[in-house]
Amino acid sequence: MAESDQISTDDSYASEAGRQLAFYAVFAILLLGIVIYGLSFVVKLTGGGASGKAVDFENNSITISVAYDPPQLDSMRATDASSFLVLAHVLEGLISNDEDNNLAPGVAERWEIREDGAIFWLRDDAMWSDGKSVTAHDFEFAWKRVVDPKTASEYAFLLFPVRNAEAITEGQMPVSSLGVTAVSDRELRVEFERPTPYFEKLVAFVTYFPAREDFVNSTDGRYASSADTMLYNGPYTVDEWVLGASMRWSKNPYYWNDNKGFLDEINVAYITTDVNAKLNLFKDGQITDTALSASMLPEAMERRWQIDRLMDGTVFFMEFNHRDGRLTNNRNFRRALQLAQDPAELVYKVLKEAAYVPADSLFPSWVRGAEDFLHNEYPPHRSETDIALAREHLELARDELGLTEFPPIVILTGDSSMGLLTAEYYQELYKRNLGLEIRIDAQIFKQRLAKMTSGDFDIVMAGWGPDYDDALTFGDLFSSWNLNNRGRYSSSEMDAQVRIAQAELDPVKRAAAFGEIQRLVHDDVVIIPMYERGVAFVVDPQLVGFRRRSVGPEVDYNYVQLTPLRKP
Amino acid sequence: MPNGHAYDFSPLRRTEISQSQSRPSLSYWQDAWIRLKANTRALISLYLLIGLLIFTLFGPLLWNIDPAAQDLDQISRPPGEDRRALIVPEYSPWTGSASDLEVGSGQGLRLIGEATTQSIRLGWDPTDTVTGYRVYRNIYPIGQERAYGIPRAEFFDSRIVNFEDRLDLKEGIYYFTVVPMKGKEQLLDLTETLAVEVKRVTTVREANQKGLIGLTEELGVGDFIDLAFHPLGTDYLGRDMLARLMAGARVSLFIGIGAPLFFVTFGILFGATAGFLGGKTDQVMMRFADFIVALPFLLFMILFKIAFGIGPGESGIGPMLVALVVLMWPATARLVRGQILQIREQGYISASQLLGGKTLYLILRHMLPNTLGVVLVTLTFAIPSAIFTEAFLSFIGMGVAPPTPSWGSMSNEGIKTMLTTPHELIFPAVLISVTVLAFNLLGDGLRDALDARMRNQE
Repeated sequence: MAESDQISTDDSYASEAGRQLAFYAVFAILLLGIVIYGLSFVVKLTGGGASGKAVDFENNSITISVAYDPPQLDSMRATDASSFLVLAHVLEGLISNDEDNNLAPGVAERWEIREDGAIFWLRDDAMWSDGKSVTAHDFEFAWKRVVDPKTASEYAFLLFPVRNAEAITEGQMPVSSLGVTAVSDRELRVEFERPTPYFEKLVAFVTYFPAREDFVNSTDGRYASSADTMLYNGPYTVDEWVLGASMRWSKNPYYWNDNKGFLDEINVAYITTDVNAKLNLFKDGQITDTALSASMLPEAMERRWQIDRLMDGTVFFMEFNHRDGRLTNNRNFRRALQLAQDPAELVYKVLKEAAYVPADSLFPSWVRGAEDFLHNEYPPHRSETDIALAREHLELARDELGLTEFPPIVILTGDSSMGLLTAEYYQELYKRNLGLEIRIDAQIFKQRLAKMTSGDFDIVMAGWGPDYDDALTFGDLFSSWNLNNRGRYSSSEMDAQVRIAQAELDPVKRAAAFGEIQRLVHDDVVIIPMYERGVAFVVDPQLVGFRRRSVGPEVDYNYVQLTPLRKP
Repeated sequence: MPNGHAYDFSPLRRTEISQSQSRPSLSYWQDAWIRLKANTRALISLYLLIGLLIFTLFGPLLWNIDPAAQDLDQISRPPGEDRRALIVPEYSPWTGSASDLEVGSGQGLRLIGEATTQSIRLGWDPTDTVTGYRVYRNIYPIGQERAYGIPRAEFFDSRIVNFEDRLDLKEGIYYFTVVPMKGKEQLLDLTETLAVEVKRVTTVREANQKGLIGLTEELGVGDFIDLAFHPLGTDYLGRDMLARLMAGARVSLFIGIGAPLFFVTFGILFGATAGFLGGKTDQVMMRFADFIVALPFLLFMILFKIAFGIGPGESGIGPMLVALVVLMWPATARLVRGQILQIREQGYISASQLLGGKTLYLILRHMLPNTLGVVLVTLTFAIPSAIFTEAFLSFIGMGVAPPTPSWGSMSNEGIKTMLTTPHELIFPAVLISVTVLAFNLLGDGLRDALDARMRNQE
């Protein structure tokens, strides 16, 4: 009896403890709920327009997302895609791009490009967001600031066609000697260093955008670091910019063009690089558009979205290190690697991205020659996979280099899954086909760039996107003086062709030079082209006029209007 | 209460006191083993781990497939899919010449040749009033929404009326749609849709390359063949999952068992010395151990990687092992030291000393065996944590270098395609979880079995 008593007391203790535990558990869950609710409330307070819908007819506004914060909005120093995107909506250069990607008048009403220079006549009604008019002086000031060594703009090279620009960036000449003068408020004269027939395409680029001297000076060196230290002359103005969280653009009341900037407000409510997060936001109707990667396509088809696509203009290739002492300096070795691969297999079987196209040339397929596409005028050498021939070349290289065994080759690549996937594919491919050992050096973007610059690689997976809409943006890449020629390829033949392409005014001869450059790149195996990148994307069907571009901002909302869907 | 009287007591009857033992004599280990056997969970875990060791050590002998070999015909295949394929001639580039297309035959959108996983060739009739065409591909029939699927190509030339699709073709039905365009962007409604059934194919060359055709067999175009067998499917580069899991297990278990063995041994030596010597020496040694505890693991892992001169693309397993051994021993050392301090003051130690036991005898016979329980338990708990560390480091790219797999790096790769091909994540993740759980349960069981104080409770 006593024993059972004992047990029952134990039991009551246990149930008492259980009750207490249950009470604490309920209390803890309640507290957690309150905390979560409170936090989400706080997030809403700080997150700007994050609660809005993607398309808001009432306020004539849309909600979008960008990949990351622009480092600053200074058009004269911008180098990254995010800055280009924002700046293309809030500033306008002399010339801009219309809906169909053709050049269209911007601040300049009309212009004239001659052999030795150019003249731009500015319109009267172009105004800054404080109501003052945009003058030729604003361009003169901005361009001089770009080439000023004190500004140290990484994109200063884009201004090199302007007289003395290169010497000024190197500090050999005073800034005032730049070949640009505002003759009056409405007329801007430019002198060229060398004939530049593609100058009008350059002028549409962000680096050539204007800035007003008195305003820039009044910001104490903090120009464009926040929404209120900047002046705008584009269709929209940046109203609010919460770093790392959100941005809000609204219609610029002083903007002159009625065919641009139809929305009252654009909310950049999400700043994220996570494509899966963006897809979920799009599914929930929180943002107007998103890119789709290969693994998302089946779901997109199931949901019956209207998928669109665009070649984004970038071509990706394996670039060899041509410095002395590198294995890859040997032409037969490079030729062996070239013959042992097939870009079609990489794109169609490994990467599986719907909008990628196997590349055969340094010049992407959209680049234009004299009359037609360059690829039609000068068909690139199609890739020919021939493993037996590749092995012969490898043996030749072995003899030339006096090696019995090839040391491991280092492929430098980015740390993205796409970069790793590509590198792993080539690693096994070259092991199987040529018996070469490949090591993969995956680095974050900055580190990869540093290693590319110092030449610490054998092969690097690189990409090159166009800065302006002309073949030269690709064509001069492997001239011996180009700093972006990371493998330090240098040949007098190539340099001669690049000089022709830079200075020749006859489009046919110029195209011939590009054809020759294309041939040299293939025959000398400067690079192995892999693919032209494209993007598959979806847009809310209520948006009309949405554009993705290969040159300039990658996403363009300047022409977007809202139209309700027709009821079927 | 009256006092007791003599008659209250009677002499006890003389009996023989039995000296026999009620239970057989058992050594410490025998007893522990009996109790471990009684613990079903621990026993199952033990068998699981033995099975895993066999899987790792002898598996590759039976399933002799190179874990780095890529089978590009079977990328991201879940296990157990049909793999019959038709042999077709080698692929040759297609220009879409007029004779192939039968221009003007008025058949509309049509398939040219056969639709295979090698390529699908389409042709259609030109329309003069348009500026170009877009070709779409869908895996679902086209409905009212004008959702044509994936845009596969765009031609800004109304004379181009053919398209070859080679992108990631799988057996099944595809719906191709050709949409004429006006200008650069405007899509017209005059669409044509064609359903195409795709056959799985391979070529004689590819089959030979993969050793699918026996020496005596004569196979040619038109015959059927089974593609390479992958019992657990393939990953995103067509590599055999089973072979990769076995190769990955080698890395994971090498780190998981190797590192704890080293650092536990060192910890025992260090802790036992400190505990036995006591006094100032003990203080100094244990403060040094505290100092080691304070060092950040990840930072040292990176430092060792640099100090070892591990170049890009080389395996980081060496520095990982060193970092684990150098930084993880203090926990064991502390535990052993505490035990030794306790045991040193026990009566049986004094007794043994009085009976003339030497120091070495005391340590070997009395002290270490009494700490063994604790040590074995730490070891079994250290193993799963080391496996996790390896998985984590490989997951963030600090561990193995491709193409060497480890369970952690396989999980990292699998998570990217979690929604479309879950098997690439599930297999390594399940193996990590099961191994870690088995070690933990075994450790639990060992603790109960080896604790001498629990000996007489049954």
